[in-house]
Amino acid sequence: MIDQEEFSGQKINIYPVTRIQGRADIEVLFTPNQEVSEARFRALEFRGFERLVLGLNAFAAPQVLSRICGSCGPFHQIVACKAIEDAAGCEVPPAARKFRELLCWLLIASDDLFNMTYLALPDYALPLSDPAVRNVTGLYKVEREAVSRLTLLRSAFHEALVHLAGFPVHPSVVVPGGVSYLPDADALDTALRMLNGCEDDLDETIRLVAMLTKRNSEMMDTGEPISGYYAAVTSDGHTDPLGDSVTVSPFGEGESFTVPHDRFFGLLRDEPVSWSYAVPVSIKGLATTLVGTMARANIGFVSDTPRADQKLKECRKRLGDPFDREFLYFPALALEVAHTWEKARFLLKDTSLFEGEAVRIPETSPSGGSAVVDAPRGVLAHRVSLERDGKIAAYRIISPLQINLSSINECLSRVARKVVSGLEVTDQIAQMLQRTVRAFSPCVPCGTH
Amino acid sequence: MYISTVDFCACGGCLNSLLYIGEPLVSLLSEHTVSFSSLLADRRNISPSDVVLATGGIRNMEELDIAREVSRTGRKVIAIGSCAVHGGIPGMAPLNDEMGTSGEERELPELLDEVEPLDSSMDITLYVPGCPPTPEVIFEALKSVLEGYTPIHYDGTVCSDCIRRVEMKPVKAWSAHPGTGLPAGSCLLSHGRLCLGPITRGGCRAVCPSMGSICIGCRGPSDMVLSSQLHSMHSDMVKFVSLSTGIKKDRVEKLLGEMLESVHLFTRCDPVIRSKANEKITTG
Repeated sequence: MIDQEEFSGQKINIYPVTRIQGRADIEVLFTPNQEVSEARFRALEFRGFERLVLGLNAFAAPQVLSRICGSCGPFHQIVACKAIEDAAGCEVPPAARKFRELLCWLLIASDDLFNMTYLALPDYALPLSDPAVRNVTGLYKVEREAVSRLTLLRSAFHEALVHLAGFPVHPSVVVPGGVSYLPDADALDTALRMLNGCEDDLDETIRLVAMLTKRNSEMMDTGEPISGYYAAVTSDGHTDPLGDSVTVSPFGEGESFTVPHDRFFGLLRDEPVSWSYAVPVSIKGLATTLVGTMARANIGFVSDTPRADQKLKECRKRLGDPFDREFLYFPALALEVAHTWEKARFLLKDTSLFEGEAVRIPETSPSGGSAVVDAPRGVLAHRVSLERDGKIAAYRIISPLQINLSSINECLSRVARKVVSGLEVTDQIAQMLQRTVRAFSPCVPCGTH
Repeated sequence: MYISTVDFCACGGCLNSLLYIGEPLVSLLSEHTVSFSSLLADRRNISPSDVVLATGGIRNMEELDIAREVSRTGRKVIAIGSCAVHGGIPGMAPLNDEMGTSGEERELPELLDEVEPLDSSMDITLYVPGCPPTPEVIFEALKSVLEGYTPIHYDGTVCSDCIRRVEMKPVKAWSAHPGTGLPAGSCLLSHGRLCLGPITRGGCRAVCPSMGSICIGCRGPSDMVLSSQLHSMHSDMVKFVSLSTGIKKDRVEKLLGEMLESVHLFTRCDPVIRSKANEKITTG
């Protein structure tokens, strides 16, 4: 079960980490006395996008960069466009900005539902089952209705995206300076009907998630809260995937602070390691910062989504405020889907938002620019330097996994010290370690880019 | 039957695309056994499988080892996505082994000099190009191999599906910007955008051009390009631009210049494409 070939008295590898996006392992290191010294999450794949785009025309780069990730690809595309627009001093037309925002809400919901259905749900619905059946197909055999509901819900968001953006994995509609087209009233109306049709499934899903979380909370709680800070992209203090600043808040005592996007890179510090292709990054020297769905739920949704707000308040009252336990990422995902559903419907109802100019083509010059977005897995930042002919001279990507790595490794080490004793790593222990990793929704392709 | 999914050097988009099928896919998989899938199941070892859904190209030594294991244990391998079929975007440029780490002593799989498509290391039963292929195409490929029938081979180009029509007019200025903001109607080539629809395998419903954005060739070369040594992605693209604008071919080459390198965005490390006569590929 566990690959012990690597063990030489000092470490054990759990390979691969399953039900995550990408290829990685967990390495547990021991002291000479065979006590756990630390555990770490290692990203094992690499493609080199920061190098691949050098010399490429900036206008062509966003579509290439979207290929970094099969889940967050559109967010890489959007943030790349924003960085180029920042470098060129280009202002995106209002209708294009709204269309991008609409796509963001739908894409976040789609990824959250993917995460919930295929990655997280087996942990909550079949926590003690044999690994051979602890997956979505095993679950389908015994709890068909739950899987069916979640897949239908995701299909509704998918169909809405297909009508608006063609295809959601690497959509081509977001281009430097705006969007390649604006949807007509028919497409908007069809998308709205898709979302209206899934209201019952959404309510039932939230109820199911609350029930499973409550049922498993004692078993899944690792005993200590996540420490440090959490961060999300914001506008006026509220989460906004296309916001222009990043807000960082402490889990415990301490002050929150907000930095504009153009100063964000200045706060980042690479802390490269020889054992992972994902380079850990810290914000302003803070030991650990959490980004992603749980961080966004802690920062707070905007006040124009009353249903999601109400459910979030109820949930915080029952489960803790802020969300600071790993197992709470599951309800956070469900609450975020409710939030995005309301946000998307709100935009879809007003077709006048999408009238006007689709794109203002930027005029590139030797310059630099940066941008942030809140991708489904957390804060994502790109920085670009352009040459005179519009080609890319330098490119930098900071992904959610890089920011989360210190938190992941801190929690992993804590759990490993508690449950691992010597060489005998049973499936149950391996499962606990992996569940800790899954709580941070790691996206390895983004992390190593 | 036993089904497995194996990711090599991949973004995860192909399996994500397949999962958009939703319940019909889950239902199909639950009738069989998922013998290995780091995305979907908790099994750790690549075990014998009747059907392997393989995504991504081969980028490092670990992936080369995985490829050997898949080759040994997998009965039928479906190569899904342009990375698996042609090497894809990760193969755009050669990389070196010092990338991505701190330069300290490495504890990671060693990188290969170049990305390799999967058929450099294993026999492939079915090729499903696309970045990513549509959910329906991947699902159909899986069902066809499970049930033993031949799926429909799409031999048209993206232009065959496109609702835009060519306006025969000379284009003075070409732009690398991918989106025009223009409503559907006239061909993007007529507006000075290098849309690769004429040389790219179709079957995607021409979704990008229909939404005002150029085709960037994610489904790889069409059968016509692959069919003869007299055809290449570069020369065919020049020919089609010439035909649709009335500009002579040598002038097209001059006008488009480096922009023409985009024809190899997804296929630069594919040995078949590289070896074709008259190809103009720079590997530096």
